[in-house]
Amino acid sequence: MRGLGERRAALALGLAFGLFAAACSGRSVDDSATPSGGAGQSIDLATTTPAGTQPVDSIVWSVYRETNSLDPIYAFDYPENTVLSVLCETLLHQEPDGSITSGLADLTYPNDTTMVFTLKPGITFWDGKPMTPDDVAYSLERNTDPKLGGFYGATFDFVRSIKATGPNEVTIELKQPDYWLAGELASTPGWIVEKAFTEAAGADFGSAAGGIMCSGSYKLGTWKTGEGVQVVANEAYWNRDVKPLVGSILFKGTPDEAALTSALQTGDVNGLYSFSLSTLNQLRQDPNVSVTDGAGWNSDAFIVSSFDGALGDVRVRQALSLALDRQGIIDTIYKGAALMPKALSPPGTWGYGREVFQSAWDALPDMTPNIEQAKQLIQAAGAAGKTITLGMSSELNNLAVEAGAYQAAGEAIGLKVKLKSVSAANYINFFIDAKARSGIDGFFTTNYGDYADPAALLGTLVLPTGSQNYSGYSNPQVTKLMNEARATADDNERAQKVADAQAIIMQDLPWIPNALPNSEIITSANLTGATASFAYMFAPWANDLGGKS
Amino acid sequence: MGRLRFLARRLAMLLATLLVSSFIIFSALYLAPGNPIAVLSGGRTLPPESVKVLEERYHLDKPFLEQYAIWLGGAVHGDLGISIALRQNVSSLIAARIWTTAALVLYASIIIVLIGVGIGLLAGLRPGLLDTSAVVATSFSAAIPSFVAAILLILLFSVRLGWFPVLGNGTGLWGTAYHLTLPAFALAISALGIVARVTRASVREELQREHVQTAVSRGIPYAKLIRRHVLRNAAIPITTITGITIASLIAIAAVVERAFGLNGLGAYLVGAANSKDFAVVQGISLVLVTAFVVVNVIVDILYAVLDPRVSLESKAE
Repeated sequence: MRGLGERRAALALGLAFGLFAAACSGRSVDDSATPSGGAGQSIDLATTTPAGTQPVDSIVWSVYRETNSLDPIYAFDYPENTVLSVLCETLLHQEPDGSITSGLADLTYPNDTTMVFTLKPGITFWDGKPMTPDDVAYSLERNTDPKLGGFYGATFDFVRSIKATGPNEVTIELKQPDYWLAGELASTPGWIVEKAFTEAAGADFGSAAGGIMCSGSYKLGTWKTGEGVQVVANEAYWNRDVKPLVGSILFKGTPDEAALTSALQTGDVNGLYSFSLSTLNQLRQDPNVSVTDGAGWNSDAFIVSSFDGALGDVRVRQALSLALDRQGIIDTIYKGAALMPKALSPPGTWGYGREVFQSAWDALPDMTPNIEQAKQLIQAAGAAGKTITLGMSSELNNLAVEAGAYQAAGEAIGLKVKLKSVSAANYINFFIDAKARSGIDGFFTTNYGDYADPAALLGTLVLPTGSQNYSGYSNPQVTKLMNEARATADDNERAQKVADAQAIIMQDLPWIPNALPNSEIITSANLTGATASFAYMFAPWANDLGGKS
Repeated sequence: MGRLRFLARRLAMLLATLLVSSFIIFSALYLAPGNPIAVLSGGRTLPPESVKVLEERYHLDKPFLEQYAIWLGGAVHGDLGISIALRQNVSSLIAARIWTTAALVLYASIIIVLIGVGIGLLAGLRPGLLDTSAVVATSFSAAIPSFVAAILLILLFSVRLGWFPVLGNGTGLWGTAYHLTLPAFALAISALGIVARVTRASVREELQREHVQTAVSRGIPYAKLIRRHVLRNAAIPITTITGITIASLIAIAAVVERAFGLNGLGAYLVGAANSKDFAVVQGISLVLVTAFVVVNVIVDILYAVLDPRVSLESKAE
């Protein structure tokens, strides 16, 4: 009795001290940033990783929160897009380098206002039913059904009609030329679902109860909300050139970064796409984990949401931008894994007209801090001593860092900077509620366009009707160039117009770029083959995923 | 008869508690700033037309009392509503998660009772080195919050030693027990220390009491003395503290579930509350309030079993 008691107490004591020791000797998180960027940085980031060669039974893939709905018309965030892009296929295909090629269909333009899609032969859904032009027209039209309230209706603004015009043919008639629509149809709005299945599922379509029916190389397996969405290799995949090596992928929501990091180290989680993971450098050093810097398509920026205050003067915006310590943001938030911006859209988005965009990028000035010049601009604008108010959330570390950087920049040039902090959950209201935006001059975002084109993001913030144009910014020259670009068939000509608009936008600064985050692909060291670029959001990224030999 | 009356009264109290708490929670959630639709937007701007359609679908455009009435009307008919984020029945979402939380809390309770009460008894009955060690160890463990315990346990037993998985629920009885071991210890460790210390103190107190001293002088065998005279009397405070801590585990479980990526009610409640997913928050709250009340009823019944002087009939006055 006594012996047992002693052992038990000793065990408890040992446990307590063991924990204490673990706490003291635990691996420290290396906060020092890897050196990066600056002038002369390479903007060529990976778009793919070497294809896998070995079959792998099953893996766990992390997404930052649980997957909500798999109905493509409501897919608007990383978890849904990551899962849907391995399950469903788009009419046109977005390559890892952002270029657009044939997807489910080949596209021809008989004239500027007609798009004809010819379905590839032999396409079948997971249930074996052939994909018909009816399915295609139905899927596209769901986007604009007012009763459904899908999130991509506006991308079909220029569409007059979508009709099945032959046994393998769908024709889109346009009200006016729209060379941006092809990009959208290589992205979320272009995912094709089976009509019969969707109608039968009704309101449950896209939920764990109703599921979805697509045509991709992976099909929906078991989906228990809370435990994750499991997808399994589609043995009957219509495209015989593709043979998935990974038997099943479980997509699991892992909101806790510490747990995620441990799970990657132990192999409980085998991969994820990420940017701004605070433990990135710790994972880079782990022999069990492989980290690849992929081409990002998203932009970390400060949204000037109101021109009513001091930031209504373009010189004040320019001064604020000139005083900003972007390298500090890149090192602190992104652990070096971001490009120093010259424009709002990163080089990863040059899906066409690469040379045009490259020379436009080279011609743009470096965003090196210059306090003296910034102070002169403030003097010229007569803005010294004026107050600007920034919307932020002190609960979200990255936002706090950025707000701090802007506060330092503003105060260095004689502005007063006030921070309006809201809870993490309420930060979203700045984006969707005009009342939340009243009284602030701007807030922070990490944002992306639907496809690889600098215009895809710019269009939402510089056009007077743009969904993210909060300040009412309008520059007739920019509007004209952007509208002309949308109507221009030739890639290089279109790119030139976007680049010209971009040069003006970088003077006007309706948004101020902070950093261009890489798309980090983090996997177990023995896995390879996933798409490295941000294209994973819209196109199958696991077709070459497998084990290393 | 008395027992039945007791249960009927407790049931009525439970229903009243549920009604009041559901209204308070609904009001609080309604008043909190934020938009339930935002969870679908991923930090970008949703088209206003889509927002309007969704607000109509989930009755978010209705006045506050009407929204609550719609929810209550459904709830009394057994329909807890639809989750905005997952577009699924709240009842089925709860059903999918409730056993994880139940198993976690049960596992942690077993740890607390066996180890916590065990250490407390031994320390109380065996002064000296053993007692001192137990006091040090339990002071230490009582001071470790669950989220710290979770990180330390993962670091030591998963990352360093590789004995236990970091994430997930596991399948089957053994798989679940294996996956829940670290979470259960993380959940139990602080409460375990407190229960051990209270147990030790009450055993010590009983040992000093006159009737025990008398029993010792009468030569009653040690085991019988402990069982009949010490433990029997010490049982009431031990039951109380164990009951309270176990009831509190139901709430703390959220932290542990999140840290270990478990598919439980607590972690889900936190997520749903953050995104103002009304029906989910209401549904889970009902379950948690019920569980809390039930644990307390069990403790009350245990009092009556442990101490014949306590009657279930008597009201707490």
